[in-house]
Amino acid sequence: MVNKGIRIEGLKKTYGSGDTAVEALKSVDMYVAPGEVVGLIGPSGSGKSTLLKCLGAVIEPTAGKMVLGDDVIYDDAWKVRDLRALRRDRIGFVFQAPYLIPFLDVTDNVALLPMLAGVRNGDARKRAMELFEALEVEHRAKAMPSQLSGGEQQRVAIARGLVNRPPVILADEPTAPLDSDRALAVIQILNDMAKKYETAIIVVTHDEKIIPTFKRIYHIRDGVTYEEEGEGRAIE
Amino acid sequence: MISLAGRDILHSWGKFVFTGMGLGLLIGITLSMAGIYRGMVDDAKVLLDNSGADLWVVQKDTLGPYAESSSIYDDIWRGIRGMPGVEEVANITYLTMQVFKGDHDVRAMVTGITPGEVGTPGWPLYLVAGRQITRSHYEAVADIATGFKLGDQIRIRRHHYTVTGLTRRMVSSNGDPMVFIPLKDAQEALFLKDNDAIWEQRRRSAGTPAFNRPGLPDLLDSFMASQSTNPFVNAVLVRVGAGHRPEEVAASIRRWKRLTVYTRAQMEEILVGKLIATSARQIFMFLVILSLVSSAIVAFIIYTLTLGKIREIAVLKLIGTKNRTIVGLIIQQSIALGMIGFVVGKISATLLMAPIFPKYVLLLPFDSVIGFFVVVVICILSSIIAIRAALSVDPAEAIGG
Amino acid sequence: MKRLPFQKRTLALIAILLPLLALFIHVTLRSGPLAPVSVVLATVENKSLSPSLFGIGTVEARYTYKIGPTAAGRVKVLEVQVGENVEAGQVLGEMDPVDLDERIKVQDATVKRVEAQLKEAQTRKEYAQTQTLRYEQLLEVRSTSEEELLSKKQDLRIAEAGLTATREELARVRAEREVLESQRKDLLLISPVDGLVVSRDVEPGTTVVAGQSVIELIDPSSIWVNVRFDQIRAHGLRVDLPAHIRLRSQPDHIQPGHVLRIEPLADAVTEEILAKVVFQQIPDPLPPIGELTEITLTLPTLEEAPVVPNAAIHLIDGRMGVWLVTDDALHFTPITPGIADLDGQVQVRDGLQAGDQIVVYSEHSLHNYSRIQVVENIPGVIS
Repeated sequence: MVNKGIRIEGLKKTYGSGDTAVEALKSVDMYVAPGEVVGLIGPSGSGKSTLLKCLGAVIEPTAGKMVLGDDVIYDDAWKVRDLRALRRDRIGFVFQAPYLIPFLDVTDNVALLPMLAGVRNGDARKRAMELFEALEVEHRAKAMPSQLSGGEQQRVAIARGLVNRPPVILADEPTAPLDSDRALAVIQILNDMAKKYETAIIVVTHDEKIIPTFKRIYHIRDGVTYEEEGEGRAIE
Repeated sequence: MISLAGRDILHSWGKFVFTGMGLGLLIGITLSMAGIYRGMVDDAKVLLDNSGADLWVVQKDTLGPYAESSSIYDDIWRGIRGMPGVEEVANITYLTMQVFKGDHDVRAMVTGITPGEVGTPGWPLYLVAGRQITRSHYEAVADIATGFKLGDQIRIRRHHYTVTGLTRRMVSSNGDPMVFIPLKDAQEALFLKDNDAIWEQRRRSAGTPAFNRPGLPDLLDSFMASQSTNPFVNAVLVRVGAGHRPEEVAASIRRWKRLTVYTRAQMEEILVGKLIATSARQIFMFLVILSLVSSAIVAFIIYTLTLGKIREIAVLKLIGTKNRTIVGLIIQQSIALGMIGFVVGKISATLLMAPIFPKYVLLLPFDSVIGFFVVVVICILSSIIAIRAALSVDPAEAIGG
Repeated sequence: MKRLPFQKRTLALIAILLPLLALFIHVTLRSGPLAPVSVVLATVENKSLSPSLFGIGTVEARYTYKIGPTAAGRVKVLEVQVGENVEAGQVLGEMDPVDLDERIKVQDATVKRVEAQLKEAQTRKEYAQTQTLRYEQLLEVRSTSEEELLSKKQDLRIAEAGLTATREELARVRAEREVLESQRKDLLLISPVDGLVVSRDVEPGTTVVAGQSVIELIDPSSIWVNVRFDQIRAHGLRVDLPAHIRLRSQPDHIQPGHVLRIEPLADAVTEEILAKVVFQQIPDPLPPIGELTEITLTLPTLEEAPVVPNAAIHLIDGRMGVWLVTDDALHFTPITPGIADLDGQVQVRDGLQAGDQIVVYSEHSLHNYSRIQVVENIPGVIS
């Protein structure tokens, strides 16, 4: 599959109906190319979370169009029958907290996704190990999540986001719990991984430290996105 | 695919094992309850087995000798012995009373058995120590549940008996241990009062002018002698000869001797169907309540465990785990809990509870198998609330709200 | 180091679950119907049994004497108390004579009166005799008529008859006096034998009917035990069998005796045979009459034969037999039981040999397919 990133056109989301209707998203247009890391910035209540949930296929938008790679996944209605499989196979998630499954070890936390998709246990673990090597956490492969440091946990979480080679990764404040150095390190990793695995990465953040690293930034305000050039500052 | 449930249990095994043990004790009590019911039925059957009889001849129109009192003359057996198809007959008396050994007493069913040789109906079928009664007076074979030892002198009413043999599982339908004594002694015991009562009775008779007449000095003695005989027994046990159907023999005794006769099947119906029916219903109610309590506990535990995993479940859903997998996770955990509980329950019921219950607790393997499936079903049903909770989790919750 | 925590957890889980599982399997197999049955074995031995018979009896006196008046009357004095030994001929008491002495005096007077009448009759007869002689002489000399003489002869015969009648009357009144005399004597209650007073039924002043017992005596040398044997277990009972007599009041003291008599009449109601057993030596003090005794009769020793405890014998499907153990396998062997002794040993006529291993005691009823576990004592038996 050729990763062609993610494209969103005129996405709308209205909660409720009639007089009490709230327009969370009025008009969202975004495009993230494979290998690109873009920032999504907005104040609370701007519709940031709603957008993320729509992108993550956990809530249904009201109107608009979403194209993932070559496939139209939403065009005023879901075009994919199995949203679970869509989330599993074609969208990677990295959360503010790592949200690792506490009763699975690090490898299985990551390997679980390919396993859910029907990949054999051995192959799934092999895939996870490859990512751990790339993310330099392979020495912690057998540890339980509770035994990892915050940074390590976040790297494992990134590995989990990547493991099924999704065309897009949604990262929701991935650096929030980390100090400045580690936060930058995570962004560096995301940049590296985006390039390496040809993945489009959307980083939702309001972390001032990392905003300057994006080349492109989408601002969202009152349900409307505005595209802006970022500084694209290199990370030392 | 890895087992999520297994991993979770492995991760929080302490919680599981200890919860399982608690549940296990409850299941143990439930199994013991079933065991008590089985024990009651078994007590009834053992009583019938031990009598070694095919037919019970009792007083007309009574449910005797176990469910109702029955008394018939002790020479009726002669007539029955002559009926075609009758192989062996024996008189028998049953009387539940206190049996004394020194200062302490035991409630027991004193059974008067016809002297003879081994195999006479009514005799204990097997012993665990000592020997069968060989003298026709003042010897007793007691069940070990009475706590008596070989050689003990026990007192039944006015007479002392030497314990010569011990039995096991020889009980009345109430679970009282049996004490076997020779028939003649038992007939006396049935009738004989304590010494004081005898003296008082003699005084009363002597004070009655009708019995103490100056012109007939011997009348009082004759009257008193007539008062202290008891020509009654409770039943006649009949063993039917080979080649005869008990029903036919019973029918002919009923017809020609005008007595009530029960076959083994009828006796079982009386004992199980009438005598212990209320207790059985009571125990059944306990079983139902205990099952409900058990399922409530399982439901509560599983629900709590699931609530503790809501976030993980949301993540699992978000990353595309199927509902089936999540339901499987919960049900498997629930069943695992049930299994630990069942194993602990079975062990505790057998090793801890059954021996301390005063009544016989019979744990049938078949009951355990049923119990196992009931536990599994209860666990599955109990996890429904937890499953509903888990399925209603919105995967969107995983994404910062 | 890094991987240890996980292993430790697994190990702990295994450490708890494995024993639990092992215990579960043990419990499942070792209890309930799947469990092996504990049994106690015995070896059949050749032994000679000395069977015995056991019966219950009461001490009774062979001879009991009930002393009482022959006529209705009032008791005047009683000179003995219960428990006293009396001799033959001893006066035990006396009935009140009431008017007997006065009646004797009346009778004495009557005798005297009849004696006087006798004298009168005698005199009449002598006069009649003299008259007859004189008239005979007068007739020879023809100084009187024949008719006169005949009249005098008749007078003589009348006088003779009167004399005889009066003599008989005297004998009668004398005899009547003797009757009263002997009645007077019979008022004494006299012991017919050397004996022991066991009961004093009435006190002086009581009026009793003829034949009612006032004093009851027994002959202490005649006490015996009236013993009952169940008919079903009386095989071998005969006269002169040695007996052990155990009185209820002296359970540790066994006294020797023997069977004196077997009653020809058995008790049809209680289905017992009655026999009398006498003491070798009359016990001193005398056991109370009516005391309960246990009698054990020893029968002659039997020839040696294989012997099994009666607890080992079972009736299965109408056949008597024992559970034979060969190579840890059970099978039911029919036997023909013979004579048994009171200790529960039974001779086997047929079906077993000395040295066979048999099951005496078992925890449950046995079947051919029962698994067995040989133990010293059945669990739960307090010894």
